[in-house]
Amino acid sequence: MMFQALPQEIQDLLAVLEYWDEILEGFIMMIWLYVWALMIGFFLGLFLAILRQYGGAIISRIATGYIEIVRGTPLLAQILLLYFLPYSLNIPIERWAFYTNFRISDREMTFILLNPEILVGILALGLNSAAYQAEYLRGAITSVGTEQLVAAQSLGMSRRVGIVHIVLPQALRRVIPAWSNEAAYLPKYTIVVWYIGVPELFGKAHYLVFKEFIPEATFIIIAIIFLVLISTVSKVLDVIHKRTAIPGL
Amino acid sequence: MGKPVLRIVDVWKSYGELEVLKGVSFELMEQEVKVIFGPSGSGKSTLLRCINMLDPPDQGEVYLSEQNLMEPGINLNIMRANIGMVFQHFNLFAHLRAINNVSIGLRRVKGVSKEEARSKALKALNQVKMAEWADHYPAQLSGGQQQRIGIARALVMEPDVILFDEPTSALDPELIGEVLQVMLELAKTGTTMIVVTHEMGFAGAVASEMLFLGNGVIIERGTPQHFFASPKSDRVKTFLKQLDILYGSHKGLLKLSKEEEDK
Repeated sequence: MMFQALPQEIQDLLAVLEYWDEILEGFIMMIWLYVWALMIGFFLGLFLAILRQYGGAIISRIATGYIEIVRGTPLLAQILLLYFLPYSLNIPIERWAFYTNFRISDREMTFILLNPEILVGILALGLNSAAYQAEYLRGAITSVGTEQLVAAQSLGMSRRVGIVHIVLPQALRRVIPAWSNEAAYLPKYTIVVWYIGVPELFGKAHYLVFKEFIPEATFIIIAIIFLVLISTVSKVLDVIHKRTAIPGL
Repeated sequence: MGKPVLRIVDVWKSYGELEVLKGVSFELMEQEVKVIFGPSGSGKSTLLRCINMLDPPDQGEVYLSEQNLMEPGINLNIMRANIGMVFQHFNLFAHLRAINNVSIGLRRVKGVSKEEARSKALKALNQVKMAEWADHYPAQLSGGQQQRIGIARALVMEPDVILFDEPTSALDPELIGEVLQVMLELAKTGTTMIVVTHEMGFAGAVASEMLFLGNGVIIERGTPQHFFASPKSDRVKTFLKQLDILYGSHKGLLKLSKEEEDK
């Protein structure tokens, strides 16, 4: 083999990369979970932030309660709770799955779009992320201040119209730097779904370690994938932040 | 003069223990300019916010063209569109260009088409001499320019009355003139206005009546001539003297230091 001439470390990395199809499957799953969780978290988080900020005494407290409970308990506990809830309520779980097969060069790959575990994973990650995103968004809404909303109302706009057309366009611009925290954290959080058997990137890494027993090379490759992904996300958000900046501010 | 545009009847307002307004009543006729002045904390801004129900009074009545705004079930959003407001700190919409700051009320409240709103907004900007700045964002403009856009934003809605809440007190001295100039022109063209201000020159030029507010009540009212020539209460005399020292000629300042010396 021509590899024999290379140092052991390089040989290890190449041996792991030999399983690129497995790694790719895991990567796609991770992105899939990430995108869904980020979107669910954003829209639910925005809703929670508005309720907490403008909801009045009772609704505001309910929103606050949700946010504090979710932020105050471990994500893993939340995932396991959601996962085992149907069993403890004696709701029968049917096995079902939507999946797609595809082929790149000589490798046959399967990507499961949705099954009960993935559904639980997406929901748990999204519900969790919503609590954090709600607080980032609330901070941005608060920083816009009440003066402009008062001015909007003085023109005859309802509070709702004022929030939608005056406060949110500014809050959503201002939130980007803080919100990029959540966008950078979430890919790493997705590895928790490994515990309920979703074959994402970290799960694939474990599988490779058991199979080939080259943990250093395996985890280095996984770490590099996360690093590249998250750096890209940060850079993109930074560009969006600059492009959407309000002139003069 | 015509019919009363605004009728304030025995308005009371408190925040917790703090009583800010303790029974204020007055009428505002069409095309009238009323100036409200008085020491800080006397309830001037609160009174304005009670009039357009941004902070509804605890007691009393506010009539806009004989429509009682305190009536339960009334759509305050619609009523507020008829009461313009200009703020001390401008409160412009930071993410919108000047032109859109002015047109957004027409678009979102009155449902005016985009083109019509734009042409009306340009006209209003022209009135405050800001048409050439239409495409600038608030943060790119000086305080005086921002305040003139604030005035155009209120003006474009063609309200029955415009409330000015200390429109020049957050401005650098050299920018006050351009804003007062715009307000003078509005007053002369028959705009109905209530102006909270300490600009006595402006008051003297256009006010039909001045109200001196102190501790939540109208302590004294009268024409500018009355206040400048022979104010009755000592509170008013002291206050006007202080204003004179602050904004007036050096005469006031010299007179005061001479009095101190004489003591």
